[in-house]
Amino acid sequence: MASMLEFRTPQFNPYAVKYSPYFDSRIAVASSSNFGIVGNGRLFCLGLTPNGIQVEKSFDTNDAQYDVSWSEINENQLVVACGDGSIKLFDITVPDFPVMNFHEHKRECFSVCWNPTAKDTFVSSSWDGTVKIWSPTRPDSLRTLPVGACAYSVSFSPHNPAILSVVAADSHIRVFDLRTPSSAQYHLTAKIPVHMSGGVVPVASAPPTELLTHDWNKYREGVIAAGGVDRVVRTFDIRNPAGGPLSVLQGHEFAVRRLAWSPHASDILISAGYDMTCRVWTDGSTVPPDTAKTVHTGIELGQMNRHTEFVTGVDWCLFGAGGWVASVGWDERVLLWDAHMLLQR
Amino acid sequence: MGALDRVSQLGNQLAGKSGKDTVLSKNEDDIVVTACLRTPFTKGGKGGFKDTAASDLMVGALRGVIDRSKIDPSLVEDICVGTVLAPGGGATEMRAASIVAGFPVSTAVRTLNRQCSSGLQACVDVANQIKTGMIEIGIGAGVESMSSQYGPGAVTEFSDLLEAHPEAANCKVPMGVLSEKMAKERGIARADQDAFAASSYQKAVKAQATGLFKEEIHPLKVKYQDPKTEETKEIVVDRDDGVRDGITAQSLGKIRPAFAKDGSIHAGNASQISDGAAAVLLMKRSTAKKLGQTIIGKFVNASVVGVPPLLMGVGPWKAIPKVFEITGLSKDDVDIYEINEAFASQCLWCAGELGIPQEKINPKGGAIAFGHPLGCTGARQVSTLLYELKRTGGKIGVTSMCIGTGMGMAAVWVAE
Repeated sequence: MASMLEFRTPQFNPYAVKYSPYFDSRIAVASSSNFGIVGNGRLFCLGLTPNGIQVEKSFDTNDAQYDVSWSEINENQLVVACGDGSIKLFDITVPDFPVMNFHEHKRECFSVCWNPTAKDTFVSSSWDGTVKIWSPTRPDSLRTLPVGACAYSVSFSPHNPAILSVVAADSHIRVFDLRTPSSAQYHLTAKIPVHMSGGVVPVASAPPTELLTHDWNKYREGVIAAGGVDRVVRTFDIRNPAGGPLSVLQGHEFAVRRLAWSPHASDILISAGYDMTCRVWTDGSTVPPDTAKTVHTGIELGQMNRHTEFVTGVDWCLFGAGGWVASVGWDERVLLWDAHMLLQR
Repeated sequence: MGALDRVSQLGNQLAGKSGKDTVLSKNEDDIVVTACLRTPFTKGGKGGFKDTAASDLMVGALRGVIDRSKIDPSLVEDICVGTVLAPGGGATEMRAASIVAGFPVSTAVRTLNRQCSSGLQACVDVANQIKTGMIEIGIGAGVESMSSQYGPGAVTEFSDLLEAHPEAANCKVPMGVLSEKMAKERGIARADQDAFAASSYQKAVKAQATGLFKEEIHPLKVKYQDPKTEETKEIVVDRDDGVRDGITAQSLGKIRPAFAKDGSIHAGNASQISDGAAAVLLMKRSTAKKLGQTIIGKFVNASVVGVPPLLMGVGPWKAIPKVFEITGLSKDDVDIYEINEAFASQCLWCAGELGIPQEKINPKGGAIAFGHPLGCTGARQVSTLLYELKRTGGKIGVTSMCIGTGMGMAAVWVAE
């Protein structure tokens, strides 16, 4: 791969990377010292300049940082998920300290996601088995949703401001719809066991797996991809929770740690894993359906193997020709590269 | 938020334990079986136990557990006995039976009734009591004397309210009638049922001849009145007397259907009416080690499901996938399935739908060959399964049954 931009984060092992939704030249990286086991965290706000990648700002936290999400209403703000269970809102124009601190989770906060449609809330998930919805202007959470298992990844639907999804260590994708009454179900509207194949009585097609990551398709409403410890990425339609996977993407040799659907194509997604690779896939949904088969087999379009440690974060650039990707790993590196290069090879 | 927690969490993400690994792993808080046995099963009304009360069968089984395990009876905190037909749930007799068997008054006793799965439910309940820390050591058991307690009195008359509700009223449709309906609806051929039933007999005959029931059966000495001479004598019952040699699909093919003229179900391809008792001693692995008990196997988890009352026979078909979901196993991880043969039709259908190979189901025969004392069967399957797994070098087993009024249960066990 010819052109690849690199930035090093010495002494800090990155856990997440996100492109700004406002600027094509701004990237945030959440990182932790000592691989997130003990020690501080550092948030890097990076700018792409003619002289390469430069630090615009950095913020230190007392505990590890596991995830980051840009604000959708203020181009200078972003929230970080911290190991002590807190979520911190930083403003690039305000040095050193967070402008807000949200601390209710009782264990490691592992995932944060700003509401991309309503823009006035964000959501967090934690190892304490809960999901919390927050307003950036209030110190207390607006709502707490019980999951009951280590909740590794949470995400708002890009299509509907009231719908959010969580994946957890218990092998289930949960979908919450905040418009439903808060009955005994706490807005839970679907619970998809990812290890089961569909049918009248779903049958286990694989053992349950810890789910570490998931993302909503940006074009096909209701389609979610999820991945985790069993190394497989599966896509589901939340409108048919018992229907089993739509497609199965196999190739990673260790756990899938992060995945992201393309903002530019409905069938393309990228995944990153503990096998030190990033892989670009088509989920096979654009291929004419084979009537004999109900489950699509995903096709790996290319593989980026320049990281030398676990790859923990990957994100698509929203701007430009499409195809630019940022990836981070425990090798203390941020790599920016063009996924199109992979496809041509 | 300790560093060690974070490291172990990461470790799990890398190792990615399969369901089978988890089930097979040995942990101190596992619920283990240190003794399991059953009395022989004898034919209702004419077999060796025809003059023996259910309570006396239970005394025999409980004594057997004490004998075999050498457990100090005062350490057993609760006994749960599954029994279906006994008036008043058999609660009084079973409490008395435990005292006769040698348990002190400090050992609590209760009975329960989940129809044909009562014996399994008893084991599961006791295991869960131990899991939650309510008790340390308990016995799950089951008993039925169909000789003395089988008959039309088992269900009270349905009220008008129940009768007026079509699905509720279905709950009292007799087993034979609804199984006949299910066999017809699901297209289970008479010939297939007869072949399945004959193989149950043949497997049981072979198992009996080669002594494969020896370990699970605890012989009992009982009083028996000879029907011809009317003389009462003491006999030792040490084998299932319902097992008959020389039964083939052809010989079964000649029997007239019992429930419908054009039907397919008859006495030869349905479970026998029998007497018997079974018991399972359960405790945590740590307790077993402390007491020097021999661990025979472990209880992993169980499932219970509901199905339409008229399709009660499909219970295992729904319960087994559910227990797989709970335990993370897949069907190929299981070495032996003990699926109760209430009727050849339903057992055959469930196995077929689940894709379980014939050789993994009831390798020593089942209820068609040696009987189905209702409350006992679930507890009986545990010893049948664990000793067979041990003999064949298998590890993981499933016990399952359909349940009258439309339910199913399944449980996962590991032989050690």
